[in-house]
Amino acid sequence: MTDTQWPRYIVFQQAKIEEPHQYAGSVHAPDAEMALMNARDVFVRRPACVSLWVVPAGVIFAKTAEELTENPALLDGVEDQAKAPTQYHVFQKATHKGTYGHVGDVTAESAGEAFKQAFATVAQCSAAAWWVFTVEAVTQSTPEDIEALFQPATSKPFRDQAFYHTVAAMHTASRQIRTQTQDTNIDER
Amino acid sequence: MNADLKAALAAQLLAMADDEFILGHRDSEWCGHAPILEEDIAFANIALDEIGHAVTWYGLLADLKGEDRETYPNRLVYHRNLPDFRCAQMVEEPKGDWAFSMLRQYLFDMYEKVRLDWLVNSPYTPVAEAAAKMRPEEVYHLRHTRAWVRRLGLGTDESNRRMQAALDQLWPYALQLFATLPDEHLLVEAGYFPHPDDLCESWQAVVIPYLQEVHLNVARDSRPVTISRTEHSADLKLLLNSLQEVARLYPDAGW
Repeated sequence: MTDTQWPRYIVFQQAKIEEPHQYAGSVHAPDAEMALMNARDVFVRRPACVSLWVVPAGVIFAKTAEELTENPALLDGVEDQAKAPTQYHVFQKATHKGTYGHVGDVTAESAGEAFKQAFATVAQCSAAAWWVFTVEAVTQSTPEDIEALFQPATSKPFRDQAFYHTVAAMHTASRQIRTQTQDTNIDER
Repeated sequence: MNADLKAALAAQLLAMADDEFILGHRDSEWCGHAPILEEDIAFANIALDEIGHAVTWYGLLADLKGEDRETYPNRLVYHRNLPDFRCAQMVEEPKGDWAFSMLRQYLFDMYEKVRLDWLVNSPYTPVAEAAAKMRPEEVYHLRHTRAWVRRLGLGTDESNRRMQAALDQLWPYALQLFATLPDEHLLVEAGYFPHPDDLCESWQAVVIPYLQEVHLNVARDSRPVTISRTEHSADLKLLLNSLQEVARLYPDAGW
């Protein structure tokens, strides 16, 4: 059966100009331009975004601390075509609960070399997982896009879940239920 | 502002608001039915923007008439009779297929864009300020709808055929957007609003080359439909029946 699903793109979002890009999730799209538009709609309906990157999921090389502990030689395998020195973005997830954030760039001739370069420079060996992909694989929004793509959301606080105080109300409600339950238990005793 | 100019401005704001509102409602009918999840979110987002623009124009109308900004838009939307709506027939048309909805949105977005480009410099500041706030959203809408029009126009035989059918159907209606309202000349003379013919010229100068570029043909002998904004289709009647049903059954209901 033919796969009719559109390709998947990984989305990275930058909340403030001084902060690194962070993994936001993924979208399906027929091409990178549409992926960028979809990323905007799915992930930036709420405020705080100055830049978006989309990267085809298939070009991201991923390694976890477990994999590398088990088999350090993994990085020696040729994963992509040897080529002229290429710039790679390095993303790192500090703990399994965290998310991937951009920690820096390295220049290497393969993804395996890029990981090695990263560990020697921008990445921490104590982290949980890492991604590398070439800089040229990224399709990104431009500073001129901020006004039309990201700025309007800042005047729409009603799109932010915090606007409705739902989480706080749920916490209050669950505290009340807990207190009532405890009272009941005491009464029963 | 003299009474005639005020009345002309009120009529203009109402027409603009009704266009945005009914189009936003038509767009929202795709919610849960768009081709893929991402597009469902995107188009629902555009629908909300258009309804937001309608609320802005209804709000300015409320200010102009000394009505309450909070309750007046609801009254206009939920408790107004069909003949009192002032939208163009283009936005009344049912949502059709995806090609139809994308092309209608593109043609309307570009119409909004050329008008907002002019209105941001209007000496009537409430309109100029509202236009400045809306314009970036239209820039984004256009990026989205232009992308779809290109892909469907240049896509497959079927997508091109559906787009061409949508264009043949929409074009005469789109031209109605530029039909002059009864007292619109007062607004043009006061320098508050652009002349509709100038707008139409700017709009066609952008839209026609783009459609041709993506292999869609505009019929050269097209004439605008000659109905006025006081006449409405059976489709709008059905839309309002459904939209106003609860409000009419329970006029005092609160949300």
